[in-house]
Amino acid sequence: MKKEQSQPLFHLFKNRITWIILSLLACLFMVTIVSLSVGSTYISPIEIWGHFLGQGGGEYDFTINMLRLPRLILAFLVGAALSVSGLILQSIIRNPLASPDIIGITAGASVGAITFIVFFAGTISISWLPLVSMSGALVVAVLVYLLAWKQGVTPIRLVLVGIGIAAAMKAFVMMMIVVSETAVTTKSYLWLTGSLYGATMKDVIGILPWVVVFIPLAFLLARTIRVLELGDELATSLGVNVQVIRFSLLFVSVVLAGSAVAFAGGIGFVGLIAPHIAKKLAPNVFHLLVPIAGLIGGLMVMVSDLIARTAFLPLDIPAGVFTAGIGAPFFIYLLYRNRHM
Amino acid sequence: MTKFLFRKNIFNILTILLLSMLLLAACGNEDNESQANEEEENDTVATDSNEEEETANTREVEHAMGTTTIEGKPERIVTLYQGATDAAVAFGITPVGAVESWLQQPFYDYLKDDLTDVTVVGQETQPNLEEIANLKPDLIIASNIRHEEIYDQLSAIAPTVSHETVYAFKETVSLMGEAMGEEEKATEILDDWNNRVEDFKGKVEEKYQDEWPFHASVLNFRADHARIYVTGFAGSILSELGFKGPKQLSDDSQDVLKLTDKESITEMNADVFYLFMEDDPAVESTYKEWTEHPLWKDLDAVKNDEVHQVDEIIWNMAGGIKAANLMLDDLYDRFDLEK
Repeated sequence: MKKEQSQPLFHLFKNRITWIILSLLACLFMVTIVSLSVGSTYISPIEIWGHFLGQGGGEYDFTINMLRLPRLILAFLVGAALSVSGLILQSIIRNPLASPDIIGITAGASVGAITFIVFFAGTISISWLPLVSMSGALVVAVLVYLLAWKQGVTPIRLVLVGIGIAAAMKAFVMMMIVVSETAVTTKSYLWLTGSLYGATMKDVIGILPWVVVFIPLAFLLARTIRVLELGDELATSLGVNVQVIRFSLLFVSVVLAGSAVAFAGGIGFVGLIAPHIAKKLAPNVFHLLVPIAGLIGGLMVMVSDLIARTAFLPLDIPAGVFTAGIGAPFFIYLLYRNRHM
Repeated sequence: MTKFLFRKNIFNILTILLLSMLLLAACGNEDNESQANEEEENDTVATDSNEEEETANTREVEHAMGTTTIEGKPERIVTLYQGATDAAVAFGITPVGAVESWLQQPFYDYLKDDLTDVTVVGQETQPNLEEIANLKPDLIIASNIRHEEIYDQLSAIAPTVSHETVYAFKETVSLMGEAMGEEEKATEILDDWNNRVEDFKGKVEEKYQDEWPFHASVLNFRADHARIYVTGFAGSILSELGFKGPKQLSDDSQDVLKLTDKESITEMNADVFYLFMEDDPAVESTYKEWTEHPLWKDLDAVKNDEVHQVDEIIWNMAGGIKAANLMLDDLYDRFDLEK
């Protein structure tokens, strides 16, 4: 996956961008190694190398194959999906504060997930949870889209209706949490914070197709996004079918955010901050922002989860607690550094 | 240019829709397949163990997540909820690892002396799987409410038996007795408990004659609401002892009734209140507000001066057989009965 992204870019784009992507990949590699090494038992990078080459007699089979690796991959995929989803939304809504949380996608997924946890947990296997929450996200997104429709959908209507629906959904979630028993409440809150705890290869396989198909789709659609950013009238006069493009982008965004939330819960801020970091690092190259934002989002969640599961050993804390803590300072640093530019 | 862009758009949308439909279909199949596989695996496990049943030391334990085969007598036990840790101590067994308590960390005071060398494996809601694996346990006691999603991983570490809830202290004892090969000890513990219950019932009835049984409410004040614990740990023990529940409960299907509005204070009404709350200024101010409300003063327990503050840990959080016995001790003392 890493190579595929970097090679065509090498020929096509300016050096700066190539360097950014290469250094992000280097970071990704380093974070991967560190995440596989640290935990309750320290496994040195050399031993990890040996493990993947099949040497070492399988003593780390459980720790690496069943615990650390699935969690790591899931963290990356979730982060990448949220970040690209946020990037698309910020562009089509033309508002830097847009993110999957704002227009109700996360809230929709929460309603699905919490309904499931409150009413069906125990009777139906928990492996259905991702599907239910993804359906929640889709239903709410369609609802927002239909309610915002008035001879086409304008960004401002989309945001307003989205915020309204999101608020209603949050109220609904709170109501369900309040009426349920204590143990269920704890579980619901864990889900709402967003955690990669207990990730398995089954989860990874569950989210992989969505990410592998829809991030490249976002990449393909990205060229038209820049035109949309000029405003509806201008874009239409340039020959873009604004409604069609906006609908497809919104669809991609919903699917990405929905699948991420389905498997990791309501991990916040990644969809808001990661795209901004990408834009600060590589301004004015929208189609390349997709891979860059994806990498940054993935890294953010990976590092958050690394801290979450190691900083307070033996406690394992939800990664969602740290995503803002990782992204926000870096974002502020970039703003500070760029203020004279 | 215009036409080209437009056509491309249509093409894109068609692609998206088609792909997503394919994906959904594919995912659906995948789920079914993996479930079918799991079932098959379970079947094979079951047949295997049937064959082995003749060997003396192999036991099949049925629990909330299916049937688990346990060989020999487990010695390195990890307990993943408070009630199980409590029960292990009651069995006279020191677990190698246990989850952190909610208060008085790492373990509740009444268990601390028995758990000096026990490794903390994280919180009940998210125990640290690597820590558990490091302890190389041969039996894990879990709870479905908390650990259903990590059951497969736990089972990969060691045979894991899981209970549905966290507060059914008697079932925890029988489940653990079966899993640890200590059935006799389990029966002894439970018989002892049943005898004590009978003893209490006899004495309290003798003392209060026709006044008995009392209605009792277990109350809890939080920063923003109050609760009535209808069943749960304390509630189920009180009803086992013969107490009746709150007098004017509108909805008795709930384990815990959350009251957010002071007008529902009447729901609490009973002859005697046992209340517990966190030591926190916000909670205390709620308590003050609620108890200053005119409706509070009309409640029978308040008029009888039968409002008792009890230990939150013993009455609610610990959820084990030892805690149940301590709660019973507390009741003996409060009714001034001879133990």
